Amino acid sequence: MITVRDLRKHYRVHKRPPGLWAALRSVVSRTYETVPAVDGISFELAEGERVGFLGPNGAGKTTTLKVLSGLLHPTSGEVRVHGHEPRRRDDGFLREIMLVTGQKQQLLWDLPPADTFDLNRAVYDVPRADFKRTVDELVDLLELSDLIGKPTRQLSLGERMKCELAAALIHRPRVLFLDEPTLGLDVNMQTVVRGFIRTYNERHGATLLLTSHYMDDVAALCPRVIVIDKGVLSYDGSLEELSRRVRPEKHVVLRFSRAVDAADLDGLGEIVSREPASVTLSVAPGAVTDVVSRALARLPVEDLTVQSPPLEEIMSELFSRSRAEREPPA
Amino acid sequence: MSRYVRLLYHQLRASVLLSAQYRADFLIDAAIEVLWAGLAVVPLLIVFGQRSDVAGWTFGEALLVTGFFTLLQGVLEGAINPSLTAVVEHVRKGTLDFVLLKPADAQFLVSTARFSPWRAINVVTAAVIFSFAFRHIGAPPTAGGLLLAAASLLAAVTILYSLWILTVSASFYVVKVDNLTYLFSSIFDAARWPASVFRGGLRVLFTVVIPLAAMTTYPAEALLGRLSWQNAAIAMGMTVGLAVVSRLVWVRSLSRYTSAGG
Repeated sequence: MITVRDLRKHYRVHKRPPGLWAALRSVVSRTYETVPAVDGISFELAEGERVGFLGPNGAGKTTTLKVLSGLLHPTSGEVRVHGHEPRRRDDGFLREIMLVTGQKQQLLWDLPPADTFDLNRAVYDVPRADFKRTVDELVDLLELSDLIGKPTRQLSLGERMKCELAAALIHRPRVLFLDEPTLGLDVNMQTVVRGFIRTYNERHGATLLLTSHYMDDVAALCPRVIVIDKGVLSYDGSLEELSRRVRPEKHVVLRFSRAVDAADLDGLGEIVSREPASVTLSVAPGAVTDVVSRALARLPVEDLTVQSPPLEEIMSELFSRSRAEREPPA
Repeated sequence: MSRYVRLLYHQLRASVLLSAQYRADFLIDAAIEVLWAGLAVVPLLIVFGQRSDVAGWTFGEALLVTGFFTLLQGVLEGAINPSLTAVVEHVRKGTLDFVLLKPADAQFLVSTARFSPWRAINVVTAAVIFSFAFRHIGAPPTAGGLLLAAASLLAAVTILYSLWILTVSASFYVVKVDNLTYLFSSIFDAARWPASVFRGGLRVLFTVVIPLAAMTTYPAEALLGRLSWQNAAIAMGMTVGLAVVSRLVWVRSLSRYTSAGG
């Protein structure tokens, strides 16, 4: 169980205007300002939950993950992870958690990943039998058998990320903080990593908090999402509810057996995109049945799908709305 | 405790594996090391070519100081420098996160992260210098002298390590401390001479501020059986004091770590 109550993390940063004179003056006298990276957020995560932690760049996601993993001390507020206070970084806490980031790596660069695994076994005091079982399982799930004997520097980005994940899980953490774990990976590797994270969660009941800019990660892994922007929580709930609330309309995609004139589409709904033999319409949720039956009656429909707007669009609309609410026009 | 011994073994093992992967580097390193150690004796040969003693030290006695200097340089560049230079890099890149996430003392983990096992060649070179020095002096050291010298050497290593921890702690505040580490290496070079060679301000600097005297001169004096109890006590006091201060500064610096990157 993870509990975050009114968490604030403020940074004191040195501020100066651009230019040489300002730079020289700042050597003697400096002005500081307080930047609220996280400004009073609260949420709870049940054991075994998979939650997406979303927000634009600079929203405070990584800061929150670092506070939760004990790397940063909160300015105020209460944080508990499985009964531990992360800032104390006690051994019991550190043995239960792990932070995996797509931007930084812990693998020893010049040695094969197997050596990092072994070092982590020693650091976490993992009994040899458990270690062997865990490594076998990870090698099997992530298909690492050809990789763990090669020096890390010879591995591709995707291969390295798979080995990073394995190194992070040697001690079988019960809480996993994942910060952009699929960053820079190709589509195939993203799918592999996603599938693995899901399997780890289901097999071991680990709690997952994931940040990602790839909405496919979130859609595939997280039934619940928490959205923060400028350090403030703007949504906490299911993905479906988020999409209903922000973009309730549905997209009706019609494919025709021949080209159709624009005039034939009049009155069906707002056109999102159109090609000679296909169209995507934006339709109010209550009007979907009516639009579909009218389209079937008067157009040469070959194929029809009804879907929610893409998650990227939903998120971008949510962020621009919350920014508009916070910064009303002068 | 036994857990940390085990961890030390694993960290050492990783360093040996790493060094074994670069055999050419090893051979070049070892050759350069032997050359450097040989060159360390050259200034002494030049000075003692002109006179029979310098500031109360004969050639054989001054060689003992050079021997301890070579030994400590091996410790510095083989065991202390590689790991702690890596910390500066960790702080800059934000990868210190991974060290702090491990359930073990962070200072221990960073201090033992990287060794250059080939620098052990310095131990052999120092042994050669010691035996040459005692042949020159004409009398072997006493058992008591050996024991006191061993204790002084331990103190010297602790002082060296503590000074490095203080230097590296600065990286949490100023990020780039390369210049500071170069400065430290240059000052440490003065430890190849007996402390009594220096006069006035330099003597105070090398005895009290950066206790080079306690690192090489006192162990040599201990071997010669002429280390005063007063100096021995000062060295012990400095060792304990510096160890405690460096630990406190390290812990305080860690709390300032803000982790780089997104």
